[in-house]
Amino acid sequence: MANQTLAHSFRESPILRPSGLIVLAILTATVVILTATGSRITLSLLAQAAIISILALSVGFLARTADLISFGHAAPFGLGAYGTALLFQHGIPAEVGIWLVLVAVFALFFVIGLVVGKLNGIAFSMLTLALGQFFYVAISKLRAITSGADGLTVSLPRSLFGLPGRTYQTPDGMFIIASVILAALVILIYLFEASRTGRLAIGVRENEERVLFLGYRTKILKAAVFATSATIAGVSGVLFALYQGFVSPEIVHWSFSGNALIMVILGGSLAVWGPVAGALVFFFLREWLSDLTEHWLAVLGVILIAVTVAWPGGITGVAKVLRARISGRERNGGGK
Amino acid sequence: MIINALNGLVYGSLLFVLASGLVLVYGLRRVVNFAHGAFYMLGAYIGYSVAIHAGFLPGIVAAAAALIAVGVALDLVVFRKLADRDPLVTVLVTFGVMLILEDFVRTVWGTRNYAIDPPALLSGVVQIAGAPFPIYRLFIVLASAVMAGGMVIWLRYSRSGLWVRAASHSPVVAAMCGVRTNVLGPLVVGLGAAFAGVAGIVAAPFLSLNPSMGAEILVMSFVVSVIGGLGSFGGAFISAMILGQIQAFGVVYLPEIAALFPFLLMALVLVVRPQGILGNKV
Repeated sequence: MANQTLAHSFRESPILRPSGLIVLAILTATVVILTATGSRITLSLLAQAAIISILALSVGFLARTADLISFGHAAPFGLGAYGTALLFQHGIPAEVGIWLVLVAVFALFFVIGLVVGKLNGIAFSMLTLALGQFFYVAISKLRAITSGADGLTVSLPRSLFGLPGRTYQTPDGMFIIASVILAALVILIYLFEASRTGRLAIGVRENEERVLFLGYRTKILKAAVFATSATIAGVSGVLFALYQGFVSPEIVHWSFSGNALIMVILGGSLAVWGPVAGALVFFFLREWLSDLTEHWLAVLGVILIAVTVAWPGGITGVAKVLRARISGRERNGGGK
Repeated sequence: MIINALNGLVYGSLLFVLASGLVLVYGLRRVVNFAHGAFYMLGAYIGYSVAIHAGFLPGIVAAAAALIAVGVALDLVVFRKLADRDPLVTVLVTFGVMLILEDFVRTVWGTRNYAIDPPALLSGVVQIAGAPFPIYRLFIVLASAVMAGGMVIWLRYSRSGLWVRAASHSPVVAAMCGVRTNVLGPLVVGLGAAFAGVAGIVAAPFLSLNPSMGAEILVMSFVVSVIGGLGSFGGAFISAMILGQIQAFGVVYLPEIAALFPFLLMALVLVVRPQGILGNKV
């Protein structure tokens, strides 16, 4: 499904162009205005959407860079969230601990990536579903550590990374924090794609054998891409735990992974920001529809089918068509 | 000991019937149906509703008939239309179908648990090695053996079975030899769906009915497929039987962590033999 991205030129990253800075400025202004004027309900929705869009970003990153569709990203998300909760439970200094949690997620999924690296397409999707469910069962069953279905409460310290602890649990505070991290991650992914390693990863996606013949270790590169994607999901989990102040096994269930995947499909993976747009649409659509109908699941199913079949580029596909039309018109006007 | 092994056989044969539905469809369409678990659930609920009014056998027939219809529709509307697209597109569409069916079940039957008694003829126990064992569980094994065995005999010895094998091997060459591959699609997908549905109602007196049963069994049948090798009946049989035993003995001896064993076995197989026990090289 990411085949269309080949048409993209990876040589120059849009972030590095002036237009990228303008977009960034507009987005910053939007975040500031929303924080200042939004109602508490809107802001809490935005905070959640910003956190979960990082999870969607990680699923989209894997789909875009490796053409792999994950049904199990709730696992690294949940590990990030549970890792954070356990840090506070055991009084480990969080400023160091959170980094350790993320390093552990990276290491674990790097090893998993080495093992599952040979699988592609459908087999990979089935496997990630089973793998995700493994972590769900493990977290539900290991009551001594995770207290099972009861979940864990996260009690934040007075101050964390130089900010007061409760900032992380207010909608406006978390919305800004999550937006900044989200923006940083999107920029990092753009830079990665423009880098040598990023282009090599795209090469592996298109034809692994050829890259292998050129003398590169594709196995390690693939595992690293998988682990990077899992770590981004872990970041989302960390923020989730900080904001909600509570973690329970539901966040590791595969329906949670499924939702993240649906956000990616809604948004499309033609552009890095696609999954983020998908997540925003997902959250506001759910909020709006829950007033109208109880059949959210069925609506989601219908939307998923319609977008996958009829509109594979999702929101990014529409944006691309619009942009082509606008720039096409400009070019015509300029020619005369 | 023997009772545990028998319980494992019961669970394993259910898993095998489910996985063989997946394998059959994968063989012809090169697509894994993520709605397979939802089909199992739908069969259980439809069968239940008919069974409490008209008896158990009509319940099974109703589940089979309903799921054949769903499977044929799925093939005609989804699989055939998307045959030349990336298989992942089709997989995502079946994921959407799963969400719709889950919503349907929740709407019609609610979210509470249902239990159903086995039919009078099959209730009661027999003494096996000095311990009581429910007759109905033996019936599950028998029914699974009849279904799976029937399918293997059909594929191996009948003319239409030969066509299905030919079309699974190479749809284009089969079509050139005059096999009507268009007709085989609905037949095979309908049969695969009916297997899931019948497994659902047959399992109903053994397990209970709830809206998350479909998702749980989907994960387990994926584990069976990954261990056995995607698209291999033999592999699915071996891994379903092993998983059944692991489940039965695990619940007795290590109840706390028994649910993790299937996944650990899957991880082990992936490290040693990534293509599965009898799978072709991926």
